[in-house]
Amino acid sequence: MKLYISNSFFGLLLLLGLSMPLQAQDGSSLPSREDASADEKVQFNGLGRTILNSTSIDGALLDTDSTTARNLQDGEFLLDVAINAQPNDKTEVQGILRLRNEFGGFFGAGVTVEIRELWARGLIGNTVRYRVGDFDHVMTPYTFFNPDQEGIVNQPTIFQPQNDVIDYELFYGDGNTRRLQGANLDFGLDFAQILQEVKADAFIARIRGTDFFTTPTRFTGGGQLDFATRRFGNDSTGVRADIGINWSNVWDDLQSGNATTGIRNDVISVDFNVELYENESLAVQFRGEAGQSNLEQRDGEKVTAEEDDTFLEAGVAVQLKKSKLGFSATYLDIGPDFFSIGAQSKRVDFNRQMSFYDRIGNDRRLRMPTLFDLGRDRALYTFQLSDQLMAYDPRYANVMPYGQATPNRSGIQIGVNYGDNESPLEAEATVSLLEEIRGSGTFELKSFTQIRLAADVHINRLADWKRTTVLTLGLQQEQTDRSGQDVEQVDLSSTLIEVGLEAELFDRFDLLAGARLLTAEGSDYIPEYSGFNDIEDFPSRFIADDQETLIGAGFRYRFRDNIYLTVQYQQFSLERAQDPTNDYDLRQIFAQYNMEF
Amino acid sequence: MKNISIYSVLLLLTMVVWSCDHDTETFDGPNLVDRFGPFNILADLEVNRTTVDFGAGEDVRMTARFNKNVNFVIRITGMESGAVKTIEAFDSELNASNAIWDGGTTELPLFREEMCRIELIIPEENNLTQEAMVEIVSTRVYEGSLFTDFEDNPGANIELGNFEFELTNETGRRSDGTAAQGDWYYLFEGTDDVVDNFFVGLININSTITGNTYAPVPTTVPEDLWFNAFLFADGGPHGIAVIQFVYDSNDSGAFEDGQDQTFQIDGDYPLGFEGWRHINHTMADIGMTEEEVSKIVAIRALLISDLNSQPDPPLQVDFGLDFLTFTSGGPLEL
Repeated sequence: MKLYISNSFFGLLLLLGLSMPLQAQDGSSLPSREDASADEKVQFNGLGRTILNSTSIDGALLDTDSTTARNLQDGEFLLDVAINAQPNDKTEVQGILRLRNEFGGFFGAGVTVEIRELWARGLIGNTVRYRVGDFDHVMTPYTFFNPDQEGIVNQPTIFQPQNDVIDYELFYGDGNTRRLQGANLDFGLDFAQILQEVKADAFIARIRGTDFFTTPTRFTGGGQLDFATRRFGNDSTGVRADIGINWSNVWDDLQSGNATTGIRNDVISVDFNVELYENESLAVQFRGEAGQSNLEQRDGEKVTAEEDDTFLEAGVAVQLKKSKLGFSATYLDIGPDFFSIGAQSKRVDFNRQMSFYDRIGNDRRLRMPTLFDLGRDRALYTFQLSDQLMAYDPRYANVMPYGQATPNRSGIQIGVNYGDNESPLEAEATVSLLEEIRGSGTFELKSFTQIRLAADVHINRLADWKRTTVLTLGLQQEQTDRSGQDVEQVDLSSTLIEVGLEAELFDRFDLLAGARLLTAEGSDYIPEYSGFNDIEDFPSRFIADDQETLIGAGFRYRFRDNIYLTVQYQQFSLERAQDPTNDYDLRQIFAQYNMEF
Repeated sequence: MKNISIYSVLLLLTMVVWSCDHDTETFDGPNLVDRFGPFNILADLEVNRTTVDFGAGEDVRMTARFNKNVNFVIRITGMESGAVKTIEAFDSELNASNAIWDGGTTELPLFREEMCRIELIIPEENNLTQEAMVEIVSTRVYEGSLFTDFEDNPGANIELGNFEFELTNETGRRSDGTAAQGDWYYLFEGTDDVVDNFFVGLININSTITGNTYAPVPTTVPEDLWFNAFLFADGGPHGIAVIQFVYDSNDSGAFEDGQDQTFQIDGDYPLGFEGWRHINHTMADIGMTEEEVSKIVAIRALLISDLNSQPDPPLQVDFGLDFLTFTSGGPLEL
């Protein structure tokens, strides 16, 4: 699949002459063709899932509420059948047919049949891989990336099954990929001198259709060129580097429909990872990414508004291999006008309607999403790309609500990690000390402090037990401050604590328990965006004095590695010191059977 | 190794310098102090004069200062005419750029020589209001070529004709204190209850009312020549006002019905509104050419009773007409 070209200069010329270098990825969460027997031309894979939920609500808010149902039952039965065919040794096609029945649906009522996924892939000239249809794609955290969701630091195992359902339903793949529908290509070249390898990939996808009137078709596309050098120097400790050139783009096709106005958002960057020194006990890396975004509002051929800004992430990582310790220090500078649709679109859309208890109370007020909802309600999540910064809840994430690409941040991040796959303790901690670059509603700047800690304590390794026993811990502490006049001052702190236990009591039979606790106190102003990253207003001061508690316990039986049944009880409570009459509790008993075949 | 480390540091420094250049001369979103801060008046409302001669080019300038930017409204009301001028802005002070009055009006009628009350209102602060007074000793001189404002007795320059028997005796020049400009306006009032042919009555205002054979116009380019008039209606839904422009087709220098061509705006003016209204259009809008606008020998005003919507027997209909004027380049700026 790779060309071997002795003359690297000739190879580089050839590489640059190809206008659309692309990358292929397996968008399926199911076994890929490489895992299958070469003799089988058609395979059937799939996923089956059954969920049965019983949810109840009570608390102070419900004391005077005569309209809200105290108990809800819901669930689903679904089967995704993946039909994978390989008509020849260079072509593979796959489609996933979904059969789904809502809990309570009988004889066709509530039953849906849909196509969940379709793609084809193959090789062109034994060199270039292509894929058309559905595919997953990721580039760098600033160009095209699906940032992690808020409310999770180190997921307790007990909450993982529900989270897996959300990830599967919303096509959130490993490595922060986004699901797209279009085409991509990729190829690689190996070199004998200076460069070891060059990889190229590109993609194009339609992310919105036209309504033939005012909304034009929207596309996203881009590509990467990654250069990996050979190690310079005469020994294995010499310098080597990986350097990538990344370009992502979102644009409206103003030839579609009658729409005359649209946008164009380009992000171009260079990422690098220079291994300055490496031997059997020490590795030192210089790594980072720098680039620029450009945003244009267009009316036909005319650019009616334009803004651009830059970003920089650069730092040093040191790995002490023998002691399993790692340190990193990174400088961040993300411009206030930096705008990257592909990297800043969030998973959680707080403006979405929740699928249960969306409104409660006699006045049918909207219920704010909580840790409980983030854990189970897939209706809050989206895989769409947003052309403006999405709403966020500062109690869960106020320091970096849009992930690493959060605009208007400058400062340093210091990280420490310990352990490996065999250590009794695996831990990772990050401290971010950041500040706004441009004020929000004032020239006074906010300062941000974030501490994140994740640790897995493998008790079975400590005690030399055979059965898996893991204690997981997660902590996120955030502090936001701003001085100035009284109305300008903000002081918001939040602490998220996660504790989880996974203990294999009998063969394949696990005890699961966990808790997630959030406290938030103080106030801040949360912006409303009129479009892109332009702040239209600060509707009012956001005041928090809240405590959310989610605890759960249950069992899981693993029939095989990819087949399990879990039965759990979860209890959630929301307490608001500012408004205790609206406190409420949610309780949930559910069973989830999951089978991948 | 050493060279690569040096290059790496240089690369990092270059990127830092390049990446740290951001626009920080302003801040994002509305000013929080303006949005949520307490409001205080640092300097009360003051007016730069107690009498003003708009006719001589004078103006009224108001000043005040606040501790933050705020939406404010300056409302100036004529004590006799009821004319209202409104100025709105968002600022932390009233100054020559946002609080200057040149005698114009926002709501008809136009100001007269009268006492005026000036109110500074802060809507977001419970309509906090401060007041001042100013006296107009001469009114603003409006641009354009006046056709008639009915202030002088027109004599034979206004001809009453066609179904005049359906008009009441109130029809004619009126001076009852409600004119849109000055003291006089022309009132049509009548009922289409004699000959049910929609027409109630009409007048021909000959261009000789201006002292010229043809109406003087500031430009003869139809696209640039605007006709303006003030119409009064009492909200009754059955009346329609028609204004026709008479072109001297036969070059006789006088209006001869049946021989001279007339032009009017499509749809005319349904009288379903209340109070005075400024109507305007270009002469190109009614299809007149450069030759034709230079020979407007008369303007005809008609009162129509919309029998299709009238009850049986039909109700009385009426309208007032004032300040017919031609302007160049745009409608009359009030």
